[in-house]
Amino acid sequence: MSTEEQLTNDEIALYDRQIRLWGMATQLRLRSAKILIINLGGVGTEVVKNLVLGGINSIEILDDSVVKEEDYATQFFLPDDESVVGQLKLPLVIDRIKELNSLVELTTNTSSLVKIFDDPKYFQTFNLIVATELDKSTIEKLNGITRSFNIPLYVAGVHGMFGYIFTDLIKHVSVSEKDAGNQLKEANTKITRTKTITEVSYDEKTNKEKITVLDEFIPISEIWKSNKLPTLLNKRQMKRLSPAVPLTFALFDIKKPDDVEQDVDKQILAEQGQRVCTELGIPTTVISEDYLEVFSRQAFTEYAPVTAIIGGALAQDIIQFLSKKESPINNVLILDSTKSEMPIYAL
Amino acid sequence: MARNTYLKKVLGEDRLERLANTKVIMIGAGGIGCELLKDLLLSGYGEIHIVDLDTVTLSNLNRQFLFRKKDIDKSKSLTIAKAVQSFNYFNAKLVPHHGNIMDTTQFPLSWWDQFSFIYNALDNLEARRYVNKMALFLKKPLMESGTTGFEGQIQPIYPYYSECFDCQAKVTPKTYPVCTIRSTPSLPVHCITWAKEFLFHQLFDESESDLSNSETIQNETDDAQEIENLAQEANELIELRKSIKTTDASPFIEQLVLKIFKGDIERLLLIDTLWKSRKKPTPLDWSTYKAPVTGMLSDISNQSLLINDTKVWTVLENIYVLYKSGSILQRRIKSGKESFISFDKDDEDTLNFVAAAANLRSSIFNIPIMSKFDIKQIAGNIIPAIATTNAIISGFSSLNGTRYFKYNYDQTGSVDFTPISKESSTVFISIKPNKYITAAALVSPNEKCPSSSLLSRGVFQITEEQRQTLTLGELVEKLVKKYGYEEGDLSVIVGKSRLVYDIDFDDNVEKKLSEIGGIGDGELILVQDENDRLENLELYVKVTDEEREHVLPELKLRPKKSVGDDQSVETEEESGGDVEQVDGVVNENDAIVIIDEEDDGLVELDEPALKKRRIQVQSLA
Repeated sequence: MSTEEQLTNDEIALYDRQIRLWGMATQLRLRSAKILIINLGGVGTEVVKNLVLGGINSIEILDDSVVKEEDYATQFFLPDDESVVGQLKLPLVIDRIKELNSLVELTTNTSSLVKIFDDPKYFQTFNLIVATELDKSTIEKLNGITRSFNIPLYVAGVHGMFGYIFTDLIKHVSVSEKDAGNQLKEANTKITRTKTITEVSYDEKTNKEKITVLDEFIPISEIWKSNKLPTLLNKRQMKRLSPAVPLTFALFDIKKPDDVEQDVDKQILAEQGQRVCTELGIPTTVISEDYLEVFSRQAFTEYAPVTAIIGGALAQDIIQFLSKKESPINNVLILDSTKSEMPIYAL
Repeated sequence: MARNTYLKKVLGEDRLERLANTKVIMIGAGGIGCELLKDLLLSGYGEIHIVDLDTVTLSNLNRQFLFRKKDIDKSKSLTIAKAVQSFNYFNAKLVPHHGNIMDTTQFPLSWWDQFSFIYNALDNLEARRYVNKMALFLKKPLMESGTTGFEGQIQPIYPYYSECFDCQAKVTPKTYPVCTIRSTPSLPVHCITWAKEFLFHQLFDESESDLSNSETIQNETDDAQEIENLAQEANELIELRKSIKTTDASPFIEQLVLKIFKGDIERLLLIDTLWKSRKKPTPLDWSTYKAPVTGMLSDISNQSLLINDTKVWTVLENIYVLYKSGSILQRRIKSGKESFISFDKDDEDTLNFVAAAANLRSSIFNIPIMSKFDIKQIAGNIIPAIATTNAIISGFSSLNGTRYFKYNYDQTGSVDFTPISKESSTVFISIKPNKYITAAALVSPNEKCPSSSLLSRGVFQITEEQRQTLTLGELVEKLVKKYGYEEGDLSVIVGKSRLVYDIDFDDNVEKKLSEIGGIGDGELILVQDENDRLENLELYVKVTDEEREHVLPELKLRPKKSVGDDQSVETEEESGGDVEQVDGVVNENDAIVIIDEEDDGLVELDEPALKKRRIQVQSLA
């Protein structure tokens, strides 16, 4: 029988390999978390799979979309049946998701996000919200609500070979225990602009350091126009900066073409990209012709290996966040898989 | 509009077409395999073969998302191939093989030859090394991957153009001296090793334990008293083992407890030299436990202890568990169904026995006692594994593997891996505040790598009839003629280490190859120059039906270098660190031979990462 404070023998047997990694306490924390996932696209599918396997208490999926042919690129819970194209997606996939782990409570909601914005109390019932593939104004609106209710928010999406994770987790304290290195960590030192070591205790007997890290977050609306990027990069790094950074930002302001075969207009993308460069305080020459070409073609497309990487990193970070043992991504991660790069910037 | 609209946009129509017409193999259908197969299917590969020898267990289900409870004990490869049919949106052909990839009967060389890319999703060194070797033999691109907890990595391997799996030394599991395990344990792991590999092994398993090997012991200590004591301990266990079938449960376990936790310890205490700088162990005081244990045994409710993995048992409880599990094991042997029992972390009886015995020994040596959950990890060599790391690593694996098909490699003609190895990289997950992964450009093969450098490989093709008529002596002559060994001073080794010929051992020269054993289809022959002049030669035996003369690979053995020679090696003009021309043609239908002619173009060890060695590839005439 399941109790609040203890895992059952069945749970220990099922979660054996991960408990050995993150311990019983983290597993218990996962078991008490209620998560909302907005939009079940490629990244949403991967995140749901990973979190359900991990043993989250309950997950609600909010998605009012209908099945489109191109969804078959990444969304592996869809029935292999042409006749479902055009039907509501969630009812078609939820049973297959439930099969992954009967211990997790899964619910669906096919209301539109816009409608739910009229009654934001809905969001209050969740410990954490993951929103995928939203445009800028929707993200800002949602982030306003999550801020007001003090709910951590992850935002993620992909564009072909590229992907991103933005975080506004408001405030987070983690305590990790690590083998001490040659130089002991010191309290009140900054790891990044937004990550600070607040406390360190050293155990001589085990040669382990207990490090408390405070993460502070800014609203996502401030990330768009952050001017911190130049301060994070030296000359060489600035020269090597992936054009994926400004172009990913630019795509938040561009509407997904109605026709899936259609590319994003290269001219518009170039203009938006230049605007972003100026806002971020980086040279407009960062954006190369090659990348403009690739981004205009691959914008808003889904490619399974990339959704797997972003969905994996996202679910992993959510688990780390809930565990309170590791410091989470703070606050922008960009994946450029053509260059095998996955930097994290504190913007 | 179509299902592959996105794939066309991301990969391009040409590549998509190529993928649809390609056949790849994925070896391993576990944690990485489940994720990787999903990615490969959704990337549009036309035909995917899956090999795994394992069956599904409960503890797989937290990450291997293609398996369900109802699949437990079923073949992983067969189950996974069925499971993915539900999202086989691009109609790939899936061919599962339940079996060991190292089995040359099931998977002969000719079978490997059909694939244009090898994806590894393995969990052990031995199989990885084997597949690496096959990739080198056949010059097939190989994607290597692995995860441990939050960490993971991929390594694309383009044979002879980039480092192979064996180019970098791998960490081998830590081992402990026999005397530490047997006489002077100081850590829980010492007691667990003792319980599993000595006590359990000596009592129940098929052969004698390595920890009772007198040679190993004598290499470690010259204390005659200790050596004698260790031998006596082991012999007494063998005597006890004989009584398993003849005694009843209670007397058997009591004898066992009295011997290993009292008698053996008292005798150990007599060896003064051991305890000069160590805390002495305290033998078990059986008289205080005998009655309480009997009491516990009569109360059936105590059996719940056996399934409580996280509780740290008291000494009394450990004795109780030892009694219960020991008598069950005894019953299993007595029933005649099993002639011996091997330790298996998933066999509760064996795990309970080992956990209780390890803990009792720990308590005697003042070492902390552990829960069964923690002991299982050490005894079973369990590596923590999670879904997310596997998903990320599989993503990078398929992404980087699919990159290969960007180029239109003519699978039957020349294969020049220069462009692809230039733009590929190894990827490690190592989560830092400012980056999630670290990538590194591929490096040229390690000069000292036993797999790809100081060893030439080739295929020795022969018909069955020739195998029946050719003698070993004739083969040796041909080897000498072909490769220029001095005065026939070479040795021939088959299988793992069986010597069948050297200059002083000619017993087999008159025998036909078929009579020697170890020279059959898919087997390996190692030829060594006893004068240490030429590098080793490894031949893969391929028995074919083709009516033609047996064929030794066309290759020129490189001179053997010893460690330290590299400094003295002269360097020829270095064209500004640029990549040197790679030439040669390979006909994939023939056996493939690769020569690395180092004698006319040696490079220094600390060369730039992407500098290619001069590689000459020849085809077999």
